[in-house]
Amino acid sequence: MNKIKIIIAREFNERVRKKSFIITTILMPLLMLGLMAAPTLMMLFATGEQKTLLVIDESGVVAPQLESGDDIVFSPYSGSLDEARAQADVFGVLWVGRDVVATPSQVRLYTNSSSSMTLEETIISQIEDVIEAERLKMYNIDGLKDIMNNLQASVSMTTYRNDLSADGGDEEATSSMVAYLLGLVMGMMLYMFLIIYGSMVMTSVIEEKGSRVLDVLVSSVSPFQLMMGKILGVASVAVTQIAIWGVLVCGLGSTLLPALMPDDVMQTVEAVQAGQMTALEADMDVDMLSALSVATDVSGLVTMFVWLLLFLVGGFLFYSAMFAAVGSSVDSIQDANQLQTPITMPIILALIVAMAVFNDPNSSLAFWGSVIPFTSPIVMMARIPFGIPTWQIGVALVVLYASVVGMAWVAGKIYRVGIFMHGKKPSYKELWQWIRQ
Amino acid sequence: MELLKIENITKRYSAHTALDDVSLSIPRGSIYGLLGPNGAGKTTLIRVINRITLPDAGRVIFDGKEISDQDIYHIGYLPEERGLYKKMKVGEQAIFFARLKGLSRREAIIRLKQWFVRLGIESWWDRKVEDLSKGMAQKVQFITTVLHEPKLLIFDEPFSGFDPINANLLKQEILRLRDKGATVIFSTHNMSSVEEICDHITLINKSRNILSGSVDEVRHRFGENVFEVTFRGEPATFEQAVSPMAEIIEAGEVADTPYLNARIRLDDNASVRECIGAANESVELRSFREVIPSMNDIFIRAVEGKL
Repeated sequence: MNKIKIIIAREFNERVRKKSFIITTILMPLLMLGLMAAPTLMMLFATGEQKTLLVIDESGVVAPQLESGDDIVFSPYSGSLDEARAQADVFGVLWVGRDVVATPSQVRLYTNSSSSMTLEETIISQIEDVIEAERLKMYNIDGLKDIMNNLQASVSMTTYRNDLSADGGDEEATSSMVAYLLGLVMGMMLYMFLIIYGSMVMTSVIEEKGSRVLDVLVSSVSPFQLMMGKILGVASVAVTQIAIWGVLVCGLGSTLLPALMPDDVMQTVEAVQAGQMTALEADMDVDMLSALSVATDVSGLVTMFVWLLLFLVGGFLFYSAMFAAVGSSVDSIQDANQLQTPITMPIILALIVAMAVFNDPNSSLAFWGSVIPFTSPIVMMARIPFGIPTWQIGVALVVLYASVVGMAWVAGKIYRVGIFMHGKKPSYKELWQWIRQ
Repeated sequence: MELLKIENITKRYSAHTALDDVSLSIPRGSIYGLLGPNGAGKTTLIRVINRITLPDAGRVIFDGKEISDQDIYHIGYLPEERGLYKKMKVGEQAIFFARLKGLSRREAIIRLKQWFVRLGIESWWDRKVEDLSKGMAQKVQFITTVLHEPKLLIFDEPFSGFDPINANLLKQEILRLRDKGATVIFSTHNMSSVEEICDHITLINKSRNILSGSVDEVRHRFGENVFEVTFRGEPATFEQAVSPMAEIIEAGEVADTPYLNARIRLDDNASVRECIGAANESVELRSFREVIPSMNDIFIRAVEGKL
């Protein structure tokens, strides 16, 4: 045991002290925040210059109703199309045909430089509105505008969970949108961790084998101790990273976010959290409220991170044992690519199942996907935000950790033989023989 | 009294037998040469001693008891293919290996500092291994092998990669460790170094132990009763004198001297004394010595089956 500790300590120290680890650990949450803020930022910076479009409207109905915006100005032009097209100092020319109301295809855009999808969509939707309005006018119905306005409905649905109100409080309004996003982030995070940290174990085994450090090490520790030490060492790095992120997220959620939000919003959020008010009564968007409530609910976040850690460690131990086995049986990363396919396939499959889970978190596919150890870490983390019975999580964890033991045993068998094999890459058949030896 | 006894070890792999009923015993305080061509089973035998692989049959007795995992702390092994973590600093890495051999961090640092001073490499402590030359890394590797003062040291081709000066330094260190009580197993192809430092040898070929004994005893055993005689006088007289008891294999002049040289093979029942007497009567004898085969000759003859 003592030797495993020494190996774990070396693996841990070597990785945690690396600049790349420190940078990703600190930058990753910022990067994720940045990604979320990116659309807003892009909107802010994308509105650069104003573009002027000359409009030649032969129908006479469209041009007066076009509304210029921040990034585009419609300027009616009375000359001929050829004259307009000859002007180089404008963005382009919009030509609208005489019978555009009857034949909407009579719209053409000539541009002096490349156009953009958003710009074209703006133009099309404006013209569509105009044509719709013109067509409606033809029916000659009084007060049609009011009728149309009255017809338009915007539905906002609030979902209640009957089974989750067992703790005595009122039914809790949940937002599927927030659960979806949370599940997506957690599932993706696990996927990334399994692949990245799994390959880290594999690469490091290949390096040890290539540099022949392994030959020296095995005179002091057994190959199995060596393998477990490496896996646990890398696992502790992953746990450290997640823990730091957890603290950062909880810290931001409990301090920074409430400080940034207007007071009345936070009061509403707190009231909803305390069960004094339902989301429906609050005068806010349900998704928004729900998101805020999740992001600032520290105990909820902590629970989530505890599940994440448990599945991360279990899933990592399960897969990294196989990664280590593959690393031990080859001489180079190139050789490893083919052999690791059977490992990466189930991880990718798990992500696909997780995507299906978002449609129905309680389907039997979702259930079995979150119990079978090959897919359970990712699928279960995608399901948890939707609120599932704790016993299911328990079963998944028990199955996962039991399989870890079996997987380590099998991988240890391959590893023990593989580290002394140099030269030809082994076939699956040979790997099977090593396991049976 | 032997430190290590190998009793009827057999190790089979799916395709071949690596060790076939190999037995040998290694006297305490000796330097024991483990010889054999590539693929003979030397490395497998060393791995069995190190408990890296377990034998299918047979026992290893270490220090009077059947070997156990605890005995690993009393063995130091320098494999032929050896390496260090390239990205790790020398000192830190040496501490890591020392701790795996059961030393405390404090003890490891104290001993390492002494060794680094001995070999004049104190300034390397904070350098990364990737910045060292191959020979430099070998020195560090040697220190990590002997640092925990093991009773048994196993060196697999220890001198490969060293320049003659450092190889000599290393040889002196190995002899010093032996004088301090360590027993050394020395696996090599370099027969001249075997003659220089080994007391005993075992020759393994095709998974079997085909020859064991002390170096002197083995060399004499392989002697073919051949003697080299240097003398001054008539070659014909000499030939006539020794021909009843010996056959002359070759003869010639010793360049730039008035002496002649002859190699003779003594008949099986002839006495050396009589032969010297007869030669002495006939010519002016200058030297008469037995030609002992070199370990290199013995190795080749043994492996090629001309025993």
